[in-house]
Amino acid sequence: MTKRALPLRWLTSEHPLPWLFPVTSLLIVFGLYPVLYSLWLSFYKRNPATRKEKFMPSWNWEKLLSDERVWDAVQITFTYAFIALTLQLVLGLTIALILDSDKRGFGVLRALMTLPLVVPPAVTGMMFLLMYDSSFGVISNSLYSLGLLSPSTPILGTGSTALWGVIVADVWQWTPFMVLIMLAGLRALPREPFEAASIDGASSFQAFVFLTLPMMSKIIALAVLIRGIDLFRIFDYVKVMTDSGPGTATETLTAYAGTVYFKSANFPYASTVALATLILVLITASLFIKIFKVRF
Amino acid sequence: MSSVKISNLEKAYGNVKVLHRLNLDVEDGRFVVLLGPSGCGKSTLLRMIAGLESVTGGDILFDDKRVNDVHAKDRNIAMVFQNYALYAHMTVRKNMAFSMRLNKTDKKTMDEKVNWASSILGLDEYLDRLPKELSGGQRQRVAMGRAIVRDPDVFLFDEPLSNLDAKLRVQMRTEIKDLHQRLKTTTVYVTHDQIEAMTMADEVVVMRGGYIEQSGTPMEIYDNPNNLFVAQFIGSPSMNILKCEVQQNNGAQSAVIGDTHFPLPTNSSLQVGQIIHYGIRPEHFHVSTQAQHGSIVGTVKVVEPTGPETHVYLNIAEHSLCAITRDRIELRPGDAIHLQPDLGHVHLFDGDTSNAI
Repeated sequence: MTKRALPLRWLTSEHPLPWLFPVTSLLIVFGLYPVLYSLWLSFYKRNPATRKEKFMPSWNWEKLLSDERVWDAVQITFTYAFIALTLQLVLGLTIALILDSDKRGFGVLRALMTLPLVVPPAVTGMMFLLMYDSSFGVISNSLYSLGLLSPSTPILGTGSTALWGVIVADVWQWTPFMVLIMLAGLRALPREPFEAASIDGASSFQAFVFLTLPMMSKIIALAVLIRGIDLFRIFDYVKVMTDSGPGTATETLTAYAGTVYFKSANFPYASTVALATLILVLITASLFIKIFKVRF
Repeated sequence: MSSVKISNLEKAYGNVKVLHRLNLDVEDGRFVVLLGPSGCGKSTLLRMIAGLESVTGGDILFDDKRVNDVHAKDRNIAMVFQNYALYAHMTVRKNMAFSMRLNKTDKKTMDEKVNWASSILGLDEYLDRLPKELSGGQRQRVAMGRAIVRDPDVFLFDEPLSNLDAKLRVQMRTEIKDLHQRLKTTTVYVTHDQIEAMTMADEVVVMRGGYIEQSGTPMEIYDNPNNLFVAQFIGSPSMNILKCEVQQNNGAQSAVIGDTHFPLPTNSSLQVGQIIHYGIRPEHFHVSTQAQHGSIVGTVKVVEPTGPETHVYLNIAEHSLCAITRDRIELRPGDAIHLQPDLGHVHLFDGDTSNAI
């Protein structure tokens, strides 16, 4: 047998490298390189006046730790992620339980449920912005007429309610995602253990607590992880709806990074804040994976 | 313990009727097997007794009390499922204790009962394992343990052995029967395996297409099948059936198929020219290599020695038959073989209705 040229020999062998090459190169170009570049950038000090950058590795990181706006943003990010995640999880599981039926029409309902997912987040933000408008917004006006809110404190213009206003938009858009994952899990549950449980004397509530929840735990953990990571990166709703305001009441970490980047044009420090988000996500997600023993 | 009475029970899914006015009496403490091919409605009937399926018509009575509308959890029954239906995230101990945990039994009683069940079923060393760490037979035993700790009025088994390998199936069969003899709990057991039905049941109920074809003790059904279906369904290898015409020869009646004359019992009241199904079980042939008076000759096709007996598949005219002999006869495919039917064990069925004559 004649010896084939090297690339051909590689491709016809069982060597893993040729098969890993395409996806690995994509990951390196679009994943690893930007992160490393940001890291590299974060080691420079930028002088806004001269627009010169100077290599000072610890400058931005020290600034980060002493920057109160960063710590406020961390707190807001956590609050935002925690509230939104809890609401999406509870609503998602509840709606999934309601939609988990073979009765007529439920298939259509399940399909309709996914509609919010196809709306671009920025459009969702605009939509809610209009609905919150204090003169003609349907949500604001409903709350005014119910006496739950006064026109002097518009939802997005008041520090105490602005974050909730953004969270509602996020929940509206992303609860269907939870529903989808939960439904996939619920539909895949075996029927027999539930029959056995009903014979064993379990009410539907007991079956839910003792069977559904434990059997769904892995799926729930996975859904929480995916949504949680996403929520830490929240940017679009804040940008469109409040632009971090009023003041910095809704300024999450990524929003702050954006502000530093676009408004102060301090690219090295913006990179540092962005990397801080990444570190925060990594730590939180790893802790979550460890505590809840998530397996993929 | 309690008796179970089924009266005029019907089940329909939309317009499709799957059970037709069934009547069945299961006496207290009896082991009743519902036997039939797939889709005959036996599992549906069992699930209706369990309360997992609604009743379309008729009544289910436990100890003469109507339970149609009683929820499964309030019927005090226990059920063992075909695929065990264990709670995968609970240990063996928790699986067995689940029902007691739900009705808030105290810890001591709970432990006692679980230990009692696990010692009966030989599960002592597996109590803290998860179902996925057990073999099929062990899982089946856990499912049974979960059932017996409840001290139920009625045991329901839905094809519990069909996921096990042949050897284990035989072993578990004996264990279930032994368990029933010890606990004496009324049991309804569903299977499509007639050997299971024969070996375990006090009473076999043969079902087909949503009807009960026949019920009785295993031997009653084996010896006196009501119709062609029951005759062929019970027994392995199954009964030989030949569609024959009754003819008069030399003063005696015989069943004729092609050129072959099968002798008929003298007391049968058949008319000449009548079309009948002539049935005889393989073990009711006397097999010989030599021609005897009144014997029928066939050609050996396949010989299957099983040890204690030999199954001989043969052709008579164009028809395939099976004969079983306990004698050690040297037979090879193509050999001529002579059969003498045991007239005391010939079953005759009407050519049109297929009912026993």
